[in-house]
Amino acid sequence: MSRSAPVRSIEFHPFNLSALRVVLDRADPAGLADELHKMLGGRPDRFSGEAAILDFSALETLPARIDWNGLTSLLRRYCLQPVGVYAVDEEHAAAARNKASLALFEHLDATPVSAPAPRASATTVSPFSLAAPDSASPPQADLPFEPSAAAPLVAGASVAPTLYIDRPVRSGQQVYAHGGDLVLLAGVSPGAEVIADGNIHCFGPLLGRALAGARGNAQARVISTHFSPELVSIAGVYRTFEQGVPEAFAARAVVVRMKSANGSGQTISIDPLQLD
Amino acid sequence: MRVIVVTSGKGGVGKTTTSAAFASGLAMRGFKTAVIDFDVGLRNLDLIMGCERRVVYDIINVINDEAKLTQALIKDKHCESENLYVLPASQTRDKNALTESGVEFVLSELEHMGFDYAVCDSPAGIEHGAVMALTFADEAIITTNPEVSSVRDSDRILGILQSKSRRALNGSEPVKEHLLLTRYSPKRVEEGEMITYKDVQELLRIPLLGVIPESESVLQASNQGIPTIHLKGSDVAEAYTDMVARFLGEKLPLRFVTYEKPGFIKRLLGGK
Ligand SMILES: Nc1ncnc2c1ncn2[C@@H]1O[C@H](COP(=O)(O)OP(=O)(O)OP(=O)(O)O)[C@@H](O)[C@H]1O
Ligand SMILES: [Mg+2]
Repeated sequence: MSRSAPVRSIEFHPFNLSALRVVLDRADPAGLADELHKMLGGRPDRFSGEAAILDFSALETLPARIDWNGLTSLLRRYCLQPVGVYAVDEEHAAAARNKASLALFEHLDATPVSAPAPRASATTVSPFSLAAPDSASPPQADLPFEPSAAAPLVAGASVAPTLYIDRPVRSGQQVYAHGGDLVLLAGVSPGAEVIADGNIHCFGPLLGRALAGARGNAQARVISTHFSPELVSIAGVYRTFEQGVPEAFAARAVVVRMKSANGSGQTISIDPLQLD
Repeated sequence: MRVIVVTSGKGGVGKTTTSAAFASGLAMRGFKTAVIDFDVGLRNLDLIMGCERRVVYDIINVINDEAKLTQALIKDKHCESENLYVLPASQTRDKNALTESGVEFVLSELEHMGFDYAVCDSPAGIEHGAVMALTFADEAIITTNPEVSSVRDSDRILGILQSKSRRALNGSEPVKEHLLLTRYSPKRVEEGEMITYKDVQELLRIPLLGVIPESESVLQASNQGIPTIHLKGSDVAEAYTDMVARFLGEKLPLRFVTYEKPGFIKRLLGGK
């Protein structure tokens, strides 16, 4: 081994954790289980063991008791590893530590958590959003949040290569572009799921589930030439189409992006694209 | 030798009917063909082929080295060309007896015996039997009925073909996919009860090999143990004959896809 062995049998070094911030809008595991299932299509392999910090800053008031075991086992089921909590009072922090071995994080040096999601639009705004703290985010995540900025950056371009898929993504299949963009050249069938940490560009019918900015990049977009998905999501804010995709953009070319609705949380906007 | 799987995901769409007709059609064109039943536990290819009373050994016996492949192959009596053989499945065995190495062995033996085509009749579902049937496929006939659930399952099986076939796993040229619509009723399509073949094709985005009309003669043929392609003059036989020709590279227009309202005279005579 090239590394020199430590002098003592145990040493302590400061270490900056890279973790996912799981921003919760509610604290009951049952309700969150349902939301997560909708959001991730029940796929247990969506994450790959990333450390997770449960962020309660979006909750106006914390319930008197939080089911810490329930929360941690729910997140573990989706292959996340809860390690800590953020924005809880001392009493809750003690319970989190005793019941679920979660550490209290006093401050997270990441972009501030969005304001609480409006309760009224619970179907379009996720009670989860997955935000990566500084160390894990691409540099442009530090820009002030402004989705229609004059010089939009291609998120992820400098982070990971683009993943190109030449054949249709079929029902039951999942494609995940880790760290970068996803370009789909033959459409996405109903029941299929396509995910990118960056943008998703889909040529051909988009009929399945499309999740861009999967690790919290709110600047990511979904661009589609034939838009009729089951679900779209930008940085964890999602929209489903149980009643069908609205006439205005069904089967048309659109761009989906995050829209800040000043102070009242985040929603996503879907706008037709003029191609000719 | 080319290995062709007839598959669907959904049950009861016409895979076995198609396997029997297609394999017979290839044999009639002069190709030495084997049709293999992968539906261990249900076993009905031999009934459709009308050879159930001649089954002594089956594919599991061959895999377990209890019989030689030549002993288990049953020569078809309907094709005058005498180059079609049926390899039946077992009704009683455990499905897991159908192992990947066993299937590979059977297929390589067939190749050594000079077969041109091996047609694999897949069971329904996406479980072990269906995966075994498609693992070694060079081409796949995705058998689909004009209804949403069948289309969805076909899409699913296309995904599995892309992930579990040998060709996918070793990165060689992907399995060639063909769409076959079966039990197509132009009347019900016209009435909006079923989806059009064009819509199905658009949803699945693979080339269309043929459209087989819904017909009562299919049931009659299977009751008699005669592959439908032998029903001279019937729509179904012609549609399967066309499909075989297209498979072999001929360009033929689609037939039996438009609904003709019964004319005045026909109505007078009480035609349907
Ligand atoms: N073109 C057709 N017109 C009318 N009936 C048909 C047609 N094709 C198949 N059938 C009927 O549909 C039923 C199922 O056919 P078949 O056994 O070929 O399907 P399968 O896909 O092999 O079913 P399984 O999934 O159970 O193996 C049978 O009763 C058969 O007679
Ligand atoms: Mg069958």
